[in-house]
Amino acid sequence: MTGSTLLVLPVGLPWALAVALALLNGRRPWVGWLAVAGLGASLVSVVMLTFRVLREGPVETVTGGWPAGVGIVLRADVLGATFAAVSVGVILVSLVYEVFVGVRSRTFPALVLFLAAGLSGLFLTGDVFNFYVFFEVSMTAAYILTGYREQDYQVRGAFIFAVVNLLGSVIFLIAIAALYHVTGTLEMATVAERVREVNPNSLITIATAIFVAFSLKLGLFPFHFWLPVVYVGSHAPVAAILSGALANIGNYGLLRFGGDILSEELALGATAVLVLGSASIIYGALQAISRREPSEVLAYSTIGQVGYVLVALGIGGTVGFSAALIYAVVNSLNKALLFLVAGLRGPFVAAAFAVGAFSLMGVPPAVGFIGKIAVFKAGLAAGGVIQATLLVALIFLGSALSFVYALQIYQRAFLAKEPQGGLWDKTSPWTARALVVALAALVLAMGLWPEPLLVLGEEAATNLIESGGSP
Amino acid sequence: MGVMPRTVAKLLFLPTLVAAVAILVKGYAQTGDGFSAGVVASLGMVLQYLAFGRREAEKLPLVGFAGRGAFVGLLIGLLVAAVPVALGDPVFNHYPGPGAHVVYLGTLELITPVLFDVGVFLLVFGFAVGSVRAIANTITREEEYRGPDADDLGVEDLAKGERR
Amino acid sequence: MILAISLVVAVVFGSGAFLVLQRDLFRVVVGLTLISNSAFLFIIAAGLTRGTAGFAQGAVPVLPIPEGSAASDPLVQAMALTALVISLSTIALLLSLIYRLYVAHETVDLEDISEAEMRLAEALEREEEPEEEEKPEAGQEEEEIEKRSR
Repeated sequence: MTGSTLLVLPVGLPWALAVALALLNGRRPWVGWLAVAGLGASLVSVVMLTFRVLREGPVETVTGGWPAGVGIVLRADVLGATFAAVSVGVILVSLVYEVFVGVRSRTFPALVLFLAAGLSGLFLTGDVFNFYVFFEVSMTAAYILTGYREQDYQVRGAFIFAVVNLLGSVIFLIAIAALYHVTGTLEMATVAERVREVNPNSLITIATAIFVAFSLKLGLFPFHFWLPVVYVGSHAPVAAILSGALANIGNYGLLRFGGDILSEELALGATAVLVLGSASIIYGALQAISRREPSEVLAYSTIGQVGYVLVALGIGGTVGFSAALIYAVVNSLNKALLFLVAGLRGPFVAAAFAVGAFSLMGVPPAVGFIGKIAVFKAGLAAGGVIQATLLVALIFLGSALSFVYALQIYQRAFLAKEPQGGLWDKTSPWTARALVVALAALVLAMGLWPEPLLVLGEEAATNLIESGGSP
Repeated sequence: MGVMPRTVAKLLFLPTLVAAVAILVKGYAQTGDGFSAGVVASLGMVLQYLAFGRREAEKLPLVGFAGRGAFVGLLIGLLVAAVPVALGDPVFNHYPGPGAHVVYLGTLELITPVLFDVGVFLLVFGFAVGSVRAIANTITREEEYRGPDADDLGVEDLAKGERR
Repeated sequence: MILAISLVVAVVFGSGAFLVLQRDLFRVVVGLTLISNSAFLFIIAAGLTRGTAGFAQGAVPVLPIPEGSAASDPLVQAMALTALVISLSTIALLLSLIYRLYVAHETVDLEDISEAEMRLAEALEREEEPEEEEKPEAGQEEEEIEKRSR
């Protein structure tokens, strides 16, 4: 298969299938399985694309056969392909889970496919405005999915989610318009070249706007206020999609715009990024410890986990960027596993949850250990002895706190003698339980054989540094 | 609504549709495209809803399929984008290629972008008319809900459940 | 011209931000619409001051333009149009969410809705029912609605 076909398949396949499925009744199991099959094919093509990109370097195609600069550029490099593979994988698992448990809305499979198409589209584009368009496709699907199951608090959560994230999108749109104004192009590679000749004052404003927009998506500390309401209310697979796949937009955006396009501005604002990341780690962990409901604890822990990615990003350089990528991937898997397990009851569920919790704490052999080690290495590589010491101490403190809250939810959810109400007595379908056990096994396997992940991180960071120039 | 708006709406309906088609087919040499054609056509349809109300407007042909039309349009657009990939060309490539012989139908060039624009037209028209229909339907249902036979209704039952 | 455009963008954004902070959900949506519109104005403004499209920066011209004549940037128009359509669909979605909340609570005031939810949660706790009560008939009701709309 040619590179350009591989580039189009992950986006086009789920998209076309989503349109077709939107006309069918998604509550029928065969419709759900059709969506699963389409998404599975999309995952296979993304994984093949990742291998190809690793072997032969970035794949690029221009729409309509136009010369570059006129047509829209679709482009896959290691960073984008990795994020696309992880996100599509998480969405696929969540969709299978929901099909096992029983889909309750006729539009659910179609919406999940729309979301997957939008996400792969934004990870596999080389055009800033195209990035925004796909970003909105996936966000719009996510707004509707948040209201899935139509409980009142879910609809209210969807409203809050939509309002806050629409504000973020507008800020991002303004930043794109400004970036276009100062560089005269929308193509990421050309933008990265031309920003070096642009007046730094206007670039700092643009970089700040982009940072705020992505932080809002990620739910970073001062922009986190919407996150608990949305995550707590959402149905388990939806929460898994939101935190395991959709949050990758923020991670990818920060790496792409910070590490590649506006690398000098990131170096300039590194201290601010580090401080915000640290604040996020501490705040998220403390809030998580003080909550009782498992979903609430997980929501706040999401805020904390984002902080690690930001700290790694602030440290910068090959070590920092690869740590950011590895941690983002690890965190996606952890959160998907934990949110899915939190909705289940029955034998083996506790074991799967324990694996997720260990991974969250960073205990070997779970994959979380690899992520923590990567961030530790980045912390040691930070310039200056005092800074390095502070960062390592902070990361250690954050891990210790995550140990406390992960054990707390495990205890409350699985060790407590009296379950909190009649609903918990029901055992979930064995198929869904088998799925989360398989996911837990994957988390363990990736921890035992981390080389692929480390290679991906290394390659992506090297690519970013090469195209971005300065560290 | 009074007699005047009704008459005007009736008189304007066919001309708006004709104008929409004209915008659609002129888009390749002059100003116009599927998107603006869709907007013009759906404005004509919204005018019918405003002037005659839901029941009269629903009697117009094909209105009932508007929502589905949006999805069909999107599918057509995606197909136009995807078929070149299957033939080994870049995505969104158009046929016949630049400089090749083009069959004309009046002023309309028969090229694949026309098909794409038809898809866009269907999408825009379907979305606009579909949402207007959906809104009109909910309003009518709510009025019925206030009436005696409220029991067999969908959305409001949820509301009653919450208030219980 | 730059000052005028910046002023308009600022005023539209400011009014939108004011409305977003209201309790009435409709005002929140209107505020969001205004804020998105300020972004569209900003996009258009990004092309206004350029005069000769992106050509000065070495971008490829979209159409051959006679020597010396000015043309405004076609790309910003396309961008504004795309963004406009996206915001239209999101606003439509937000309005439908409000309608759903209105049907449930007969109010669009955020505080009233939260209060009603608190009361409901308390009532449920008193009855010692599981909080996550599912509605088994929800699916059938939806089908019912569909049949009617046909």
